[in-house]
Amino acid sequence: MQEAQSVVNQISGADIATAAKYLAAGFVMGIGAIGSAIGEGNVAAHALDGMARQPEMEGALMRTMIVGQAITESTGIYSLLVAIVLLFVV
Amino acid sequence: MFEQLAEMLTHLGGKRIVVLSIGEYSLRFDLVATITMWAVTLVLVLLALYLRRGLRQEIEEKPNRIQATLDILIDLLRTQLSANFASERLAREMFPFISTVFLYVLFCNWVSMIPYVESPTANVNVTLGLALLVLVMSHVLAIRMKGAKKYIHGFIEPYPFMLPMNIIGELAKPISHGFRLFGNLFAGSVLIIVVTAKIVPVILPPALNLFFTLLMGGIQAFVFAMLAVAYINVAVES
Repeated sequence: MQEAQSVVNQISGADIATAAKYLAAGFVMGIGAIGSAIGEGNVAAHALDGMARQPEMEGALMRTMIVGQAITESTGIYSLLVAIVLLFVV
Repeated sequence: MFEQLAEMLTHLGGKRIVVLSIGEYSLRFDLVATITMWAVTLVLVLLALYLRRGLRQEIEEKPNRIQATLDILIDLLRTQLSANFASERLAREMFPFISTVFLYVLFCNWVSMIPYVESPTANVNVTLGLALLVLVMSHVLAIRMKGAKKYIHGFIEPYPFMLPMNIIGELAKPISHGFRLFGNLFAGSVLIIVVTAKIVPVILPPALNLFFTLLMGGIQAFVFAMLAVAYINVAVES
């Protein structure tokens, strides 16, 4: 009990802030990736549907799919930026 | 462990900053990224000058090897990138710009295949600069194609109170455009560094490098150019 109390006393506010920073960066990246992953999967699934239905359109569908996925990825990239800012700037 | 990682990341590419002070202002350059960018530019220009010599031949002759290869490449760029422009005239006019942007970003991404060289597109200043270039290009084209009056009127559509929204929308474009390229390249390089330093320094890093640099670098360069096409289309059309 005495030892636990002394350990608790050694933890300063800066330590808690650092821990919160790393935790927040992990959460930002983990939760932020969910949305873009689902979105990109949707784009790919529907593009594949279209390709299966009309194989002659494959080139155009592929091109549009890649651009669509790139735009869907934005939220993931933004969360990566927030994570970078949390880790190295804040 | 996190401190080590943070230290590794700050030493990523050396980050030698050169400060040029003009009066009370100061310009800051990342020396490594700047030199790599200029090297890529030099390589592209020399390659173009070298390959151009192979094109000096009569039209009636059978095409030589350089001519045939470049024909295929130019045709690929034209059908994949430039054909997405709104009008035929715009496509013909903007083909050199778009293919230059594509080739430049592609070579900037791929230059990190060389050991000890970091790709300049993993630096946020480079990608934001490229995105601003595309933004300025699209607005200059819009003014030239639609006329100044119609261009300004485009900002208060559909209602005049939408003006701030439209301006913010325009300013958000280069930010998301630039950060997308930066984020992908930076995440790839961080992953490779972490795997090399913390997990296995053999076998896996080259495979990751192959995936992230060659494949993702190519896709991201294509996406960057395609989004530039899309932004120019939107600016010229609306």
